[in-house]
Amino acid sequence: MRLAFVLSEIGSGLRRNLSMVISVILVTFVSLTFVGAAGMLQLQINQMKGYWYDKVQVAIFLCSDGSTAPGCATGPATPEQEDNLRKLLQSPAVAQYVNDFQYESKDDAYKHFKEQFSNSPIVDSVTPDQLPASFRINMKDPEKYEIISETFSSQAGVETVIDQRQLLERLFSAMNAASLVAVSVAGVMIICAILLIATTIRLSAFSRRRETGIMRLVGASKMVIQLPFILEGVIAAVIGAALASVTLWSVAHFFLGEVLSKQYPDTAFISPGQTLILAPALIGLGVVLAGTSSLLTLRRYLRV
Amino acid sequence: MIRFENVTKVYDQKARPALDSINLEIDRGEFAFLVGASGSGKSTFLRLVLKEDRASSGAVYVAGQNVANISSWRVPRLRRGIGVVFQDFRLLPQKTVFANVAFAMQVIGKSRSVIRDTVPEVLKTVGLEGKENRLPHELSGGEQQRVAIARAVVNRPGILLADEPTGNLDPTTSMGIMGVLDKINQNGTTVVMATHDDDIVNEMRKRVVELKNGVVIRDEAKALYTSMIPIVGQSRRLRDASGRDEPQIIPPRAGSRAEARAEIRTAGEAQA
Repeated sequence: MRLAFVLSEIGSGLRRNLSMVISVILVTFVSLTFVGAAGMLQLQINQMKGYWYDKVQVAIFLCSDGSTAPGCATGPATPEQEDNLRKLLQSPAVAQYVNDFQYESKDDAYKHFKEQFSNSPIVDSVTPDQLPASFRINMKDPEKYEIISETFSSQAGVETVIDQRQLLERLFSAMNAASLVAVSVAGVMIICAILLIATTIRLSAFSRRRETGIMRLVGASKMVIQLPFILEGVIAAVIGAALASVTLWSVAHFFLGEVLSKQYPDTAFISPGQTLILAPALIGLGVVLAGTSSLLTLRRYLRV
Repeated sequence: MIRFENVTKVYDQKARPALDSINLEIDRGEFAFLVGASGSGKSTFLRLVLKEDRASSGAVYVAGQNVANISSWRVPRLRRGIGVVFQDFRLLPQKTVFANVAFAMQVIGKSRSVIRDTVPEVLKTVGLEGKENRLPHELSGGEQQRVAIARAVVNRPGILLADEPTGNLDPTTSMGIMGVLDKINQNGTTVVMATHDDDIVNEMRKRVVELKNGVVIRDEAKALYTSMIPIVGQSRRLRDASGRDEPQIIPPRAGSRAEARAEIRTAGEAQA
């Protein structure tokens, strides 16, 4: 009975205050979309880092079928060439710059590739043979990349030496800057949302002061009186958060999935499903925002 | 049922207190009028009983409990034991008579079946059978006040506070309302009614507590709106709050009301 009563109170509150409720929905929608966009950028950065990014700095790719580099004139790298390279890496001249290194076979490479590009159609057309084996090197000092590059580029069986970190770092710093901007915009919008929710709840409490006055007099508990107002704000915020989640999913699905991944097939993009892990966080944030701002407002404007 | 012990209420430090060391006891099942000019402290008295305000000093007991000791989350329970009726009815305009009365039960979580059984019963008590589905604006003032009374007593409170319930009503309608309040009082509810309506007070012959500038200047059983004997000082017939002294009872006077009122008037002039 009490639940039904609270629900009907919420319904009438939302109806009476419809325009304000819609504006709360829209403001939370926009602010949480920005929050979510920042989250998506971070997810994307993680996706692009792949398996090796945080573990090593330099990759020595060995020759595979169809390599055209000068060191690959003899075809795919042979086990002897691999052994030579391993010995070279362990020799004192090189080892002083190297923390440790790992050998990534074609099969390992295929496994990591499949993980990173799980959202991309390219994964179906790649076989382990097409992927080069590699040595992944963790440098003592990443700045000494040139030494490794000079030593190994000319070795037989080496296709290329790449400092992956340096290539991606510039892109990542741009993306981090973008997510910082998104977070700042979100911050401003969230302040708007909090103030708007407070105003809406205040109006709602004012327009129903007759009812709440009578409720107090007949001894309704604080919860029964305040809950409808708090839930009004929370419901509006949850709708806004849900809209933001849907928007992020659509961006991942239509823009990243359909457009960008076609244009840049060799980049690993996040899947639409991954954006859904942001949804509970956004909805939770919306609930907390609306709940606290309406609670604080009610404490001031609705005497119980 | 309601006991004031040395209660003082100060709203503004510079002005005189709204209530000044009030000692008063109203017993279970009693019917008491609270009379006095505007600003005499009647409303403050009612607010203190409801714990809408805190007394500046002294103790207010309601149903044996010192309201100062009731924690804020238990105030609703205190208020469930007190019905309140106002001069301006305070009905919800978009709800029917039934829904207005049922509202008081819904908000404290009564079940639908209990509401369905109780509300018509209470509406019958206040004389509104067959008007369950009317909206407040389709009713006369007297009927609206009956709805408000029904709402105040539907949860069977031990106390009914009425703040000038007949202030907006004509004399005949007022007498009808008084009949309803009397019936509720007969059923065992303590009724405290603040009023300016001398006809009603004189007609009912109940206990009268007169306040003036925050002080009880008269407390008589079966009394009239205005004392028939000029008041000299503040000493006359102040009733001990501990209840040791029985109030002095003035026997109903023979003779017509007009006569009584003429006497009252001369008494008033004598006072002036």
